[in-house]
Amino acid sequence: MDDPTATFKFLGLTFDWTTIISTLLAMAIVIIVSIVLTRKLSVKPNKRQNAIEYLLDFTNGIVDGQLTKKQARQFGLFAFTLFFFIVVSNEMGLLLQFKLGDGVTYIKSPTADPIVTMTLAIMSLMVAHGMGVQELGFKGYIKNMFFTPYSWMLPLNIIEQLANFLTLSLRLFGNIFAGEMLLTLVANSLAWPGHFNGLWSVLALPIEMVWQGFSLFIGGIQAYVFVILTGVFISQLSGNE
Amino acid sequence: MLGTTTLAALPLGNMLFIIIAFLLLMLILKKVAYGPLTKVLDERADKISSDIDGAEAARQEAEELASQRQAELAETRQNATKVVSDAKASAQKQSDLIVAAANDRAASVSQQAQTDAQKLKEDAISGAKNDVAALSVAIASKLMQKELSLNDQQALIDAYISDLETK
Repeated sequence: MDDPTATFKFLGLTFDWTTIISTLLAMAIVIIVSIVLTRKLSVKPNKRQNAIEYLLDFTNGIVDGQLTKKQARQFGLFAFTLFFFIVVSNEMGLLLQFKLGDGVTYIKSPTADPIVTMTLAIMSLMVAHGMGVQELGFKGYIKNMFFTPYSWMLPLNIIEQLANFLTLSLRLFGNIFAGEMLLTLVANSLAWPGHFNGLWSVLALPIEMVWQGFSLFIGGIQAYVFVILTGVFISQLSGNE
Repeated sequence: MLGTTTLAALPLGNMLFIIIAFLLLMLILKKVAYGPLTKVLDERADKISSDIDGAEAARQEAEELASQRQAELAETRQNATKVVSDAKASAQKQSDLIVAAANDRAASVSQQAQTDAQKLKEDAISGAKNDVAALSVAIASKLMQKELSLNDQQALIDAYISDLETK
Protein backbone atom coordinates (compact mmCIF):
# COMPACT_ATOMS: atom_id res chain seq x y z
CA MET A 1 0.00 0.00 0.00
CA ASP A 2 2.94 2.29 0.47
CA ASP A 3 4.07 2.13 -3.13
CA PRO A 4 4.99 5.51 -4.58
CA THR A 5 2.52 7.00 -7.01
CA ALA A 6 2.98 9.25 -10.00
CA THR A 7 0.37 11.96 -10.25
CA PHE A 8 -0.28 15.05 -12.30
CA LYS A 9 -2.62 17.97 -11.83
CA PHE A 10 -5.13 19.10 -14.43
CA LEU A 11 -7.84 21.73 -13.91
CA GLY A 12 -7.19 21.59 -10.19
CA LEU A 13 -7.82 17.86 -10.04
CA THR A 14 -5.15 15.32 -9.31
CA PHE A 15 -4.86 12.35 -11.59
CA ASP A 16 -2.97 9.16 -10.95
CA TRP A 17 -0.97 7.82 -13.87
CA THR A 18 -1.26 4.20 -12.79
CA THR A 19 -5.05 4.28 -12.77
CA ILE A 20 -5.23 6.15 -16.04
CA ILE A 21 -2.79 3.96 -17.93
CA SER A 22 -4.17 0.71 -16.53
CA THR A 23 -7.76 1.67 -17.16
CA LEU A 24 -7.03 2.83 -20.68
CA LEU A 25 -5.09 -0.35 -21.38
CA ALA A 26 -7.93 -2.53 -20.10
CA MET A 27 -10.42 -0.57 -22.16
CA ALA A 28 -8.21 -0.81 -25.22
CA ILE A 29 -8.07 -4.58 -24.79
CA VAL A 30 -11.85 -4.71 -24.45
CA ILE A 31 -12.34 -2.62 -27.57
CA ILE A 32 -9.79 -4.50 -29.66
CA VAL A 33 -11.20 -7.89 -28.65
CA SER A 34 -14.70 -6.66 -29.43
CA ILE A 35 -13.70 -5.35 -32.82
CA VAL A 36 -11.82 -8.51 -33.73
CA LEU A 37 -14.65 -10.77 -32.59
CA THR A 38 -17.42 -8.83 -34.31
CA ARG A 39 -15.97 -8.63 -37.79
CA LYS A 40 -18.33 -9.94 -40.46
CA LEU A 41 -21.36 -10.51 -38.29
CA SER A 42 -24.04 -12.68 -39.80
CA VAL A 43 -27.20 -14.45 -38.74
CA LYS A 44 -25.32 -17.71 -39.13
CA PRO A 45 -22.35 -17.12 -36.82
CA ASN A 46 -18.72 -18.02 -37.38
CA LYS A 47 -16.32 -19.04 -34.62
CA ARG A 48 -15.31 -15.54 -33.50
CA GLN A 49 -18.88 -14.35 -33.47
CA ASN A 50 -19.84 -17.37 -31.39
CA ALA A 51 -17.31 -16.37 -28.75
CA ILE A 52 -18.60 -12.84 -28.27
CA GLU A 53 -22.20 -14.01 -28.60
CA TYR A 54 -21.51 -16.39 -25.76
CA LEU A 55 -20.26 -13.49 -23.66
CA LEU A 56 -23.28 -11.38 -24.51
CA ASP A 57 -25.63 -14.28 -23.83
CA PHE A 58 -23.92 -14.73 -20.48
CA THR A 59 -24.43 -11.13 -19.35
CA ASN A 60 -27.92 -11.05 -20.84
CA GLY A 61 -28.64 -14.23 -18.92
CA ILE A 62 -27.59 -12.57 -15.65
CA VAL A 63 -29.78 -9.60 -16.44
CA ASP A 64 -32.83 -11.46 -17.77
CA GLY A 65 -33.00 -13.64 -14.69
CA GLN A 66 -33.55 -10.69 -12.36
CA LEU A 67 -35.23 -7.88 -14.24
CA THR A 68 -38.33 -7.23 -16.24
CA LYS A 69 -37.97 -7.43 -19.98
CA LYS A 70 -37.97 -3.67 -20.43
CA GLN A 71 -35.35 -3.09 -17.73
CA ALA A 72 -33.24 -5.96 -19.02
CA ARG A 73 -33.18 -4.31 -22.42
CA GLN A 74 -32.04 -1.01 -20.86
CA PHE A 75 -29.51 -2.58 -18.56
CA GLY A 76 -28.07 -5.00 -21.15
CA LEU A 77 -25.40 -2.71 -22.57
CA PHE A 78 -24.27 -1.55 -19.14
CA ALA A 79 -24.04 -5.12 -17.84
CA PHE A 80 -22.14 -6.25 -20.92
CA THR A 81 -19.64 -3.39 -20.72
CA LEU A 82 -19.27 -3.74 -16.96
CA PHE A 83 -18.62 -7.45 -17.06
CA PHE A 84 -16.27 -7.30 -20.02
CA PHE A 85 -14.27 -4.42 -18.50
CA ILE A 86 -14.05 -5.93 -15.01
CA VAL A 87 -13.00 -9.35 -16.29
CA VAL A 88 -10.28 -7.84 -18.44
CA SER A 89 -9.19 -5.57 -15.59
CA ASN A 90 -9.09 -8.42 -13.09
CA GLU A 91 -7.05 -10.71 -15.29
CA MET A 92 -4.79 -8.04 -16.75
CA GLY A 93 -2.73 -7.55 -13.59
CA LEU A 94 -2.13 -11.27 -13.30
CA LEU A 95 -0.48 -11.42 -16.69
CA LEU A 96 1.10 -8.02 -16.89
CA GLN A 97 2.56 -5.68 -14.32
CA PHE A 98 4.84 -2.90 -15.30
CA LYS A 99 7.10 -1.14 -12.88
CA LEU A 100 9.55 1.60 -13.74
CA GLY A 101 12.76 2.40 -11.97
CA ASP A 102 11.09 5.03 -9.82
CA GLY A 103 9.19 2.29 -8.03
CA VAL A 104 5.85 3.24 -9.48
CA THR A 105 3.77 0.35 -10.84
CA TYR A 106 2.34 1.89 -13.98
CA ILE A 107 0.39 -1.09 -15.18
CA LYS A 108 -1.60 -3.39 -12.93
CA SER A 109 -5.21 -4.43 -12.53
CA PRO A 110 -7.27 -1.23 -12.41
CA THR A 111 -9.68 -3.08 -10.12
CA ALA A 112 -6.90 -3.56 -7.55
CA ASP A 113 -7.40 0.14 -6.80
CA PRO A 114 -10.25 0.98 -4.39
CA ILE A 115 -10.92 4.26 -6.19
CA VAL A 116 -11.67 2.41 -9.42
CA THR A 117 -13.94 -0.14 -7.79
CA MET A 118 -15.72 2.55 -5.81
CA THR A 119 -16.26 4.52 -8.98
CA LEU A 120 -17.65 1.45 -10.69
CA ALA A 121 -19.88 0.83 -7.67
CA ILE A 122 -21.09 4.43 -7.73
CA MET A 123 -21.97 4.07 -11.40
CA SER A 124 -23.76 0.80 -10.80
CA LEU A 125 -25.73 2.22 -7.91
CA MET A 126 -26.57 5.36 -9.87
CA VAL A 127 -27.96 3.14 -12.61
CA ALA A 128 -29.86 1.13 -10.02
CA HIS A 129 -31.32 4.20 -8.31
CA GLY A 130 -32.13 5.81 -11.64
CA MET A 131 -34.00 2.74 -12.81
CA GLY A 132 -35.77 2.63 -9.45
CA VAL A 133 -37.02 6.18 -9.90
CA GLN A 134 -38.02 5.45 -13.47
CA GLU A 135 -39.92 2.34 -12.41
CA LEU A 136 -41.68 3.59 -9.27
CA GLY A 137 -41.69 7.37 -9.58
CA PHE A 138 -39.77 9.45 -7.06
CA LYS A 139 -42.22 9.01 -4.17
CA GLY A 140 -42.60 5.31 -4.71
CA TYR A 141 -38.86 4.96 -5.02
CA ILE A 142 -38.22 6.70 -1.68
CA LYS A 143 -40.93 4.67 0.01
CA ASN A 144 -39.62 1.44 -1.48
CA MET A 145 -36.02 2.22 -0.52
CA PHE A 146 -36.49 3.51 3.06
CA PHE A 147 -39.89 2.45 4.39
CA THR A 148 -40.21 -1.10 3.16
CA PRO A 149 -41.41 -3.40 4.60
CA TYR A 150 -42.06 -1.24 7.72
CA SER A 151 -41.46 2.46 8.22
CA TRP A 152 -39.61 1.90 11.52
CA MET A 153 -36.96 0.07 9.49
CA LEU A 154 -35.74 3.41 8.09
CA PRO A 155 -32.41 3.38 9.99
CA LEU A 156 -31.70 -0.17 8.92
CA ASN A 157 -32.55 0.69 5.34
CA ILE A 158 -30.20 3.68 5.36
CA ILE A 159 -27.40 1.51 6.67
CA GLU A 160 -28.25 -1.07 4.03
CA GLN A 161 -27.87 1.46 1.22
CA LEU A 162 -24.43 2.51 2.53
CA ALA A 163 -23.45 -1.12 3.04
CA ASN A 164 -24.50 -1.90 -0.53
CA PHE A 165 -22.03 0.63 -1.82
CA LEU A 166 -19.19 -0.52 0.40
CA THR A 167 -19.68 -4.25 -0.11
CA LEU A 168 -20.03 -3.88 -3.86
CA SER A 169 -16.84 -1.87 -4.24
CA LEU A 170 -14.67 -3.36 -1.51
CA ARG A 171 -15.46 -6.98 -2.37
CA LEU A 172 -14.08 -6.51 -5.85
CA PHE A 173 -11.13 -4.44 -4.67
CA GLY A 174 -10.26 -6.83 -1.85
CA ASN A 175 -10.29 -9.94 -3.96
CA ILE A 176 -8.22 -8.54 -6.78
CA PHE A 177 -5.85 -6.58 -4.59
CA ALA A 178 -5.19 -9.58 -2.35
CA GLY A 179 -4.64 -11.76 -5.38
CA GLU A 180 -2.09 -9.42 -6.85
CA MET A 181 -0.40 -8.75 -3.58
CA LEU A 182 0.11 -12.40 -2.84
CA LEU A 183 1.30 -12.94 -6.38
CA THR A 184 3.83 -10.16 -5.95
CA LEU A 185 4.94 -11.53 -2.62
CA VAL A 186 5.51 -14.98 -4.02
CA ALA A 187 7.25 -13.53 -7.08
CA ASN A 188 9.48 -11.32 -4.95
CA SER A 189 10.43 -14.22 -2.78
CA LEU A 190 11.59 -15.97 -5.93
CA ALA A 191 14.16 -13.27 -6.58
CA TRP A 192 14.80 -11.81 -3.20
CA PRO A 193 17.99 -9.83 -3.64
CA GLY A 194 20.81 -11.51 -1.78
CA HIS A 195 18.56 -14.24 -0.54
CA PHE A 196 18.48 -16.35 -3.66
CA ASN A 197 17.90 -19.92 -2.74
CA GLY A 198 17.59 -22.48 -5.52
CA LEU A 199 15.36 -24.83 -3.57
CA TRP A 200 12.98 -22.05 -2.54
CA SER A 201 12.66 -20.90 -6.14
CA VAL A 202 11.77 -24.37 -7.29
CA LEU A 203 9.21 -24.65 -4.50
CA ALA A 204 7.77 -21.22 -5.14
CA LEU A 205 7.22 -21.64 -8.85
CA PRO A 206 4.34 -24.16 -8.56
CA ILE A 207 2.81 -22.08 -5.77
CA GLU A 208 2.95 -19.05 -8.04
CA MET A 209 1.32 -20.95 -10.86
CA VAL A 210 -1.41 -22.36 -8.65
CA TRP A 211 -2.13 -18.94 -7.16
CA GLN A 212 -2.19 -17.35 -10.60
CA GLY A 213 -4.68 -19.90 -11.81
CA PHE A 214 -6.80 -19.41 -8.73
CA SER A 215 -6.68 -15.66 -9.17
CA LEU A 216 -7.85 -16.01 -12.77
CA PHE A 217 -10.80 -17.96 -11.46
CA ILE A 218 -11.43 -15.38 -8.71
CA GLY A 219 -11.24 -12.58 -11.27
CA GLY A 220 -14.00 -14.15 -13.37
CA ILE A 221 -16.14 -14.90 -10.34
CA GLN A 222 -15.80 -11.36 -8.97
CA ALA A 223 -16.78 -9.80 -12.30
CA TYR A 224 -19.82 -12.05 -12.37
CA VAL A 225 -20.69 -11.20 -8.77
CA PHE A 226 -20.34 -7.49 -9.44
CA VAL A 227 -22.75 -7.60 -12.35
CA ILE A 228 -25.21 -9.90 -10.64
CA LEU A 229 -25.23 -7.67 -7.51
CA THR A 230 -25.86 -4.65 -9.67
CA GLY A 231 -28.82 -6.54 -11.10
CA VAL A 232 -30.00 -7.39 -7.60
CA PHE A 233 -29.82 -3.72 -6.54
CA ILE A 234 -31.78 -2.65 -9.61
CA SER A 235 -34.34 -5.31 -8.84
CA GLN A 236 -34.56 -4.26 -5.17
CA LEU A 237 -34.78 -0.55 -5.89
CA SER A 238 -37.40 -1.13 -8.57
CA GLY A 239 -39.48 -3.00 -6.04
CA ASN A 240 -39.78 -6.21 -8.05
CA GLU A 241 -38.51 -8.77 -5.61
CA MET B 1 -1.86 4.65 -0.56
CA LEU B 2 -4.13 7.56 0.22
CA GLY B 3 -2.24 10.24 2.07
CA THR B 4 -4.34 12.71 4.03
CA THR B 5 -3.33 15.50 1.69
CA THR B 6 -4.33 13.63 -1.46
CA LEU B 7 -7.49 12.08 -0.05
CA ALA B 8 -9.62 14.99 -1.11
CA ALA B 9 -7.99 15.63 -4.46
CA LEU B 10 -6.83 12.31 -5.84
CA PRO B 11 -10.03 10.31 -5.89
CA LEU B 12 -12.06 13.03 -7.55
CA GLY B 13 -9.82 13.34 -10.58
CA ASN B 14 -9.46 9.61 -10.97
CA MET B 15 -13.14 9.02 -10.46
CA LEU B 16 -14.05 11.62 -13.04
CA PHE B 17 -11.60 10.07 -15.44
CA ILE B 18 -12.92 6.57 -14.86
CA ILE B 19 -16.55 7.61 -15.22
CA ILE B 20 -15.88 9.44 -18.48
CA ALA B 21 -13.71 6.63 -19.79
CA PHE B 22 -16.32 4.05 -18.85
CA LEU B 23 -19.10 6.00 -20.55
CA LEU B 24 -16.92 6.28 -23.65
CA LEU B 25 -16.20 2.58 -23.49
CA MET B 26 -19.90 1.90 -23.25
CA LEU B 27 -20.53 4.10 -26.27
CA ILE B 28 -17.79 2.41 -28.29
CA LEU B 29 -18.92 -1.06 -27.30
CA LYS B 30 -22.46 -0.17 -28.25
CA LYS B 31 -21.26 0.96 -31.65
CA VAL B 32 -18.84 -1.90 -32.16
CA ALA B 33 -20.25 -4.94 -30.43
CA TYR B 34 -23.45 -4.62 -28.45
CA GLY B 35 -25.59 -2.89 -31.05
CA PRO B 36 -24.68 -5.05 -34.05
CA LEU B 37 -24.71 -8.22 -31.96
CA THR B 38 -28.11 -7.48 -30.49
CA LYS B 39 -29.38 -6.73 -33.96
CA VAL B 40 -28.01 -10.01 -35.26
CA LEU B 41 -29.44 -11.93 -32.31
CA ASP B 42 -32.83 -10.32 -32.81
CA GLU B 43 -32.67 -11.06 -36.51
CA ARG B 44 -31.87 -14.67 -35.72
CA ALA B 45 -34.72 -14.90 -33.23
CA ASP B 46 -37.07 -13.38 -35.81
CA LYS B 47 -35.80 -15.72 -38.48
CA ILE B 48 -36.24 -18.75 -36.27
CA SER B 49 -39.74 -17.78 -35.26
CA SER B 50 -40.69 -16.91 -38.83
CA ASP B 51 -39.21 -20.21 -40.01
CA ILE B 52 -41.26 -22.04 -37.42
CA ASP B 53 -44.37 -20.13 -38.46
CA GLY B 54 -43.57 -20.81 -42.11
CA ALA B 55 -43.17 -24.50 -41.46
CA GLU B 56 -46.46 -24.56 -39.59
CA ALA B 57 -48.18 -22.70 -42.44
CA ALA B 58 -46.65 -25.04 -45.02
CA ARG B 59 -47.77 -28.05 -43.02
CA GLN B 60 -51.30 -26.70 -42.77
CA GLU B 61 -51.35 -25.94 -46.46
CA ALA B 62 -50.16 -29.44 -47.27
CA GLU B 63 -52.82 -30.92 -45.02
CA GLU B 64 -55.44 -28.73 -46.64
CA LEU B 65 -54.28 -29.75 -50.10
CA ALA B 66 -54.31 -33.41 -49.12
CA SER B 67 -57.84 -33.23 -47.74
CA GLN B 68 -58.95 -31.23 -50.75
CA ARG B 69 -57.47 -33.84 -53.05
CA GLN B 70 -59.14 -36.56 -51.04
CA ALA B 71 -62.47 -34.82 -51.37
CA GLU B 72 -61.96 -34.27 -55.07
CA LEU B 73 -61.02 -37.90 -55.53
CA ALA B 74 -64.15 -39.05 -53.73
CA GLU B 75 -66.27 -36.66 -55.76
CA THR B 76 -64.70 -37.84 -58.98
CA ARG B 77 -65.28 -41.44 -58.03
CA GLN B 78 -68.90 -40.65 -57.24
CA ASN B 79 -69.25 -38.78 -60.54
CA ALA B 80 -67.77 -41.70 -62.45
CA THR B 81 -70.16 -44.11 -60.76
CA LYS B 82 -73.04 -41.81 -61.54
CA VAL B 83 -71.97 -41.44 -65.16
CA VAL B 84 -71.69 -45.19 -65.55
CA SER B 85 -75.05 -45.84 -63.94
CA ASP B 86 -76.65 -43.05 -65.95
CA ALA B 87 -75.22 -44.51 -69.11
CA LYS B 88 -76.48 -47.92 -68.14
CA ALA B 89 -79.93 -46.60 -67.37
CA SER B 90 -80.13 -44.61 -70.57
CA ALA B 91 -78.87 -47.53 -72.61
CA GLN B 92 -81.49 -49.73 -70.98
CA LYS B 93 -84.15 -47.17 -71.73
CA GLN B 94 -82.96 -46.78 -75.28
CA SER B 95 -82.89 -50.49 -75.84
CA ASP B 96 -86.33 -50.85 -74.30
CA LEU B 97 -87.59 -48.13 -76.60
CA ILE B 98 -86.00 -49.72 -79.60
CA VAL B 99 -87.37 -53.12 -78.73
CA ALA B 100 -90.79 -51.68 -78.12
CA ALA B 101 -90.67 -49.77 -81.39
CA ALA B 102 -89.52 -52.88 -83.17
CA ASN B 103 -92.26 -54.88 -81.56
CA ASP B 104 -94.85 -52.31 -82.56
CA ARG B 105 -93.53 -52.20 -86.02
CA ALA B 106 -93.47 -55.93 -86.33
CA ALA B 107 -97.00 -56.12 -85.00
CA SER B 108 -98.26 -53.50 -87.41
CA VAL B 109 -96.41 -55.11 -90.28
CA SER B 110 -97.88 -58.47 -89.50
CA GLN B 111 -101.31 -56.89 -89.04
CA GLN B 112 -100.96 -55.16 -92.37
CA ALA B 113 -99.83 -58.36 -93.97
CA GLN B 114 -102.79 -60.18 -92.48
CA THR B 115 -105.27 -57.57 -93.67
CA ASP B 116 -103.62 -57.50 -97.07
CA ALA B 117 -103.73 -61.22 -97.28
CA GLN B 118 -107.34 -61.29 -96.15
CA LYS B 119 -108.23 -58.66 -98.67
CA LEU B 120 -106.38 -60.46 -101.43
CA LYS B 121 -108.09 -63.66 -100.43
CA GLU B 122 -111.48 -62.02 -100.40
CA ASP B 123 -110.79 -60.30 -103.71
CA ALA B 124 -109.64 -63.56 -105.15
CA ILE B 125 -112.66 -65.38 -103.78
CA SER B 126 -115.15 -62.79 -105.03
CA GLY B 127 -113.35 -62.61 -108.39
CA ALA B 128 -113.41 -66.40 -108.58
CA LYS B 129 -117.04 -66.39 -107.55
CA ASN B 130 -117.92 -64.08 -110.39
CA ASP B 131 -115.74 -65.97 -112.82
CA VAL B 132 -117.18 -69.27 -111.71
CA ALA B 133 -120.69 -67.92 -112.08
CA ALA B 134 -120.00 -66.61 -115.52
CA LEU B 135 -118.20 -69.78 -116.47
CA SER B 136 -120.95 -71.96 -115.11
CA VAL B 137 -123.52 -70.04 -117.02
CA ALA B 138 -121.48 -70.27 -120.15
CA ILE B 139 -120.96 -73.98 -119.66
CA ALA B 140 -124.58 -74.55 -118.88
CA SER B 141 -125.81 -72.59 -121.85
CA LYS B 142 -123.41 -74.48 -124.01
CA LEU B 143 -124.65 -77.74 -122.61
CA MET B 144 -128.26 -76.95 -122.86
CA GLN B 145 -127.90 -75.00 -126.05
CA LYS B 146 -130.29 -72.85 -124.44
CA GLU B 147 -130.11 -69.36 -123.53
CA LEU B 148 -130.11 -69.08 -119.92
CA SER B 149 -130.31 -65.81 -118.32
CA LEU B 150 -127.42 -65.29 -115.93
CA ASN B 151 -129.57 -63.25 -113.77
CA ASP B 152 -132.21 -65.91 -113.51
CA GLN B 153 -129.78 -68.55 -112.45
CA GLN B 154 -127.64 -66.40 -110.16
CA ALA B 155 -129.46 -67.52 -107.06
CA LEU B 156 -129.00 -71.15 -107.88
CA ILE B 157 -125.32 -70.75 -108.56
CA ASP B 158 -124.75 -68.89 -105.40
CA ALA B 159 -126.43 -71.73 -103.57
CA TYR B 160 -124.09 -74.19 -105.17
CA ILE B 161 -121.04 -72.25 -104.37
CA SER B 162 -122.08 -71.81 -100.81
CA ASP B 163 -122.58 -75.48 -100.71
CA LEU B 164 -119.07 -75.99 -102.09
CA GLU B 165 -117.59 -73.61 -99.58
CA THR B 166 -119.12 -75.35 -96.66
CA LYS B 167 -117.80 -78.73 -97.75
